[in-house]
Amino acid sequence: MAFLIAFHWGWLLGALLIGLAMGWVAVVHRGPRVSRPVMLGLSALAMALVAIAITHVVPGRPGYWLELLLVMFVPYLVGCTIGSWLRALVVARSMRLGAAG
Amino acid sequence: MRGLFRWSGKWWPGIIPLLILWGFAAWVSTAPLENDLSARSAAALKSAVLDRTKIAVDGRDVSLGAYAFSEEGRRDALALVAAVPGVRLVDDGTRLVAEAKPFVWSAERDVVRVTLGGNAPLPAVKAKLSEAARSALKGVEVADQMALARGAPPRFEDAALLLIGQIGKLKDGKFTISDGDIALTGMARELGGRESLALALKDLPEGFKIASNEVRAPPYIFQAYKDPVAVTVTLSGNVPDENIHAVVVGAASRRFFNEKVVDNLKTSLGAPSGFVNAVVPALGALSRLSTGTLAVSDREIKLSGDALYDEAARQIQSGLAKDVPQGWQVKAEISVKPAAAPVDATVCQQLFSDLLGKARIRFETGRADIDRDSAGLLDRLVEIALRCPSANIEVAGHTDAEGEEATNQALSQKRAQAVVDYLVKAGLPADRFTAVGYGSTQPVASNDTGEGRAQNRRIDFLVR
Repeated sequence: MAFLIAFHWGWLLGALLIGLAMGWVAVVHRGPRVSRPVMLGLSALAMALVAIAITHVVPGRPGYWLELLLVMFVPYLVGCTIGSWLRALVVARSMRLGAAG
Repeated sequence: MRGLFRWSGKWWPGIIPLLILWGFAAWVSTAPLENDLSARSAAALKSAVLDRTKIAVDGRDVSLGAYAFSEEGRRDALALVAAVPGVRLVDDGTRLVAEAKPFVWSAERDVVRVTLGGNAPLPAVKAKLSEAARSALKGVEVADQMALARGAPPRFEDAALLLIGQIGKLKDGKFTISDGDIALTGMARELGGRESLALALKDLPEGFKIASNEVRAPPYIFQAYKDPVAVTVTLSGNVPDENIHAVVVGAASRRFFNEKVVDNLKTSLGAPSGFVNAVVPALGALSRLSTGTLAVSDREIKLSGDALYDEAARQIQSGLAKDVPQGWQVKAEISVKPAAAPVDATVCQQLFSDLLGKARIRFETGRADIDRDSAGLLDRLVEIALRCPSANIEVAGHTDAEGEEATNQALSQKRAQAVVDYLVKAGLPADRFTAVGYGSTQPVASNDTGEGRAQNRRIDFLVR
């Protein structure tokens, strides 16, 4: 894992930035939401992929690509979380200012 | 927290650029990643002793193909690659190097090159042997045809290095190690090469022995040429050591009383066994010839020349074959020198006196047995006696004044008789000779000195 992070830090940073941007936008976005069952399904899929990666079932390059995908997905999620949280802070603050004003 | 959950429902659109980024990352990073792992795996295996190592990287999986020299080495190699950061799986394509039974190694020398063949236990040993051959024989091509195999006997390297150190002694040939047995074949560069090899390989590592030494050496030559014109005997060729050198030159000086001994001998190893016991009688036989050549080559003695009379030729032919040690061959080509012109009795007496003035007939101490060294002298006395067939000859025995007179008289009588017997055996009529023993009654020098006594111990020939 340490090796993957060290070797791919540029790409991971990219994934983090995409996540940040997505998280930032998600707070005020008015588009459709993913429903709870679909969310569970996606989570199950993610868990399955993680399980496959950990058990080294997929050999060679495909195995590596799977790991790369999972490793990039983590900073994406982190980015989304941080982005949403920051945006939420900003929105709450402007709402407080608006209420005060 | 609830907010976070709510927002996460809207994070999915970001997955699309994430997937694009991922695809791009996979596209760009796969080859550098594989190269990096390959390079670091190879570096990790630097310290491992392996043959024909192949590293193939697919994603983060490394297939290691290699031949290891022990089970432990094989496991270690796999562990080394597995420990490289970033390697996910190691595909085990390793094997043990085949075990050779028997473990054979050889070094073959011919005119232009040395070929190292058979098996070496490790790449490092292989390289070391090859290098040792190069430095042992500067300027000679070294062809390394050694394969790698397990199963070398302990201390194989020391034994092989010892052999390589000796390969310079061969002109051509082969040294072979088969497990603990060493076989040597070929032709040595120098005389005594076989012996010097055996000597150098005396201290082989434990567990090794010389199973066969079939190294041949150039023939061991010894020659003697008796030149009647220059009145010399020239000794040339080889003798095994300084002691034998002295023995041979001493024997030659005693037997060739009339000739000057020219010593061109050199000391060299490799003499066939029984050398001195063959060469000394052969020199004795040569001393009986008027002119002749003695050529000893290994265990073959060739003697050619002219004997002084018929019976001498026969005696030399049959006697020498009996005198040499077993295993030696004698080829004698003896002809007989044409008889010299007859002379009258006074000339005969003069010739006897001249000859006995140069040398005395020797006997074994205190006995009446003629020393073999005197055969040449006696033959010359026979030759003179043959030139005056009508003369009657008194063979007079004398002793020094040591000891009792009666004993001396008896000894001198017996010694004179022994000489007469020799003359009769040579074919001269017995009735021409009388043996008389004078004891110490007719000294020719003082009995007070050793030299004088030696002069008094003598046999005289008196023509009557």
